Amino acid sequence: MASLRDIKRRIKSVRNTSQITKAMQMVASAKMRRAQELAIKGRTYMSALANVLKHLQDTLSDGASSPLMEQREKGKKLIIVVSTDRGLCGGLNSNLFKEVLLKCDADADYITVGVKLNAQLTRCGRNLVATFTIGDTVEEAELKPIFQMIRQGFTDGTYNRVEVIYQKFINVMVQRPELMTLLPLSSEDLLNVAAQDDIADEDNPNFLLEPDPRTLLNAILPLYFGHQLVQMILEGKASEQSARMVAMKAATENAKTLIGELTLEYNKARQTQITNELLEITTAMKAME
Amino acid sequence: MALHLKIITPMRTAVDTDVTSVLVPSAQGEMEVLPGHADIIAAMDNGELTYRPVADAPKSVFVGGGFLQVDGEDVMLVTDTVLEAHEIDASSIEAAVAKAQEAYRNQASVLSREESTRLAANIARQLAMLEYKRKKHL
Repeated sequence: MASLRDIKRRIKSVRNTSQITKAMQMVASAKMRRAQELAIKGRTYMSALANVLKHLQDTLSDGASSPLMEQREKGKKLIIVVSTDRGLCGGLNSNLFKEVLLKCDADADYITVGVKLNAQLTRCGRNLVATFTIGDTVEEAELKPIFQMIRQGFTDGTYNRVEVIYQKFINVMVQRPELMTLLPLSSEDLLNVAAQDDIADEDNPNFLLEPDPRTLLNAILPLYFGHQLVQMILEGKASEQSARMVAMKAATENAKTLIGELTLEYNKARQTQITNELLEITTAMKAME
Repeated sequence: MALHLKIITPMRTAVDTDVTSVLVPSAQGEMEVLPGHADIIAAMDNGELTYRPVADAPKSVFVGGGFLQVDGEDVMLVTDTVLEAHEIDASSIEAAVAKAQEAYRNQASVLSREESTRLAANIARQLAMLEYKRKKHL
């Protein structure tokens, strides 16, 4: 049996660990709330864009197009993997990676947001072209280089398709990996988004469009696609934080049970020690008589 | 009759109020929106936006591009940037603009067309911001 001091030392270290995991849980839950708030705030903007798109839908269905809607045969696929920068968030990244292996082509180019999956991707022979780190607040300045890279790659014909794989935030307990097509934007998708918009009023086709429909479309689509990516990254962030929160909660609870068990062992050991000492004393007394 | 003005940015709904008129910097020149006129969707330029709240003095903000949609009484503005005069720091913008223009001149040949248009647009926006700030402090 381990000595009293050993057990005591272990209890102490487990207690320290549980304090750390507890703190991490709190931090994660606060950050999760913030990420969710950001995602919700962004939704107003998204639905405002959708609202304008809805009123442009006649233009869309007339087959007007912008370079961002071009369907091409030639070119490679670009896949953006939204993982995390830090670990300790349960099976989040490994689940995402499984999905990547399952659904994404091996010969595509990859961009990662968050560094955690870089090593695994390269080990599997995927062509990693860039990696970005984005802070919790998801600042516009941090996102610009990604947009530029995607947009340029797509408009100059290097890529014919841009997809994003990220952890969709279902609720605090459940996150599900999801693969979405970012580019080319298809007019059906746009019409769907516009139709979902619940600000829907009776259709009013008599909008004056200024300067002209094509310019408007060309100006609004980059905003739309950019914001779509932002929303996905925010969802990824919310998923990361909630997964971390749950993982840390489990860790704290495990530590608590462990402390309970160790305390029991400690008490038993102490009792044995006392009994032994008593035995020694009584034996010594007996021997003296 | 009043109009309902909403200015929406990715981060927040900056303005949400009843107004009697809005003066916007549309891409084709300044345009005033009044009640009871045709519905319109228009692209906007950088510049000053002035609105008259129903029971208040006119207010103005700087908007950085985006769209205007007038649908009956609802005026909706979708933009990246909304700033009030006191939120703009003139000296830091001046320094940044000078630096950017310098960089733009030196590297104009190496930049792709898309990059250079973007850079130019950005400089234009900063300059518009500066102009707005100066006007407010005369």
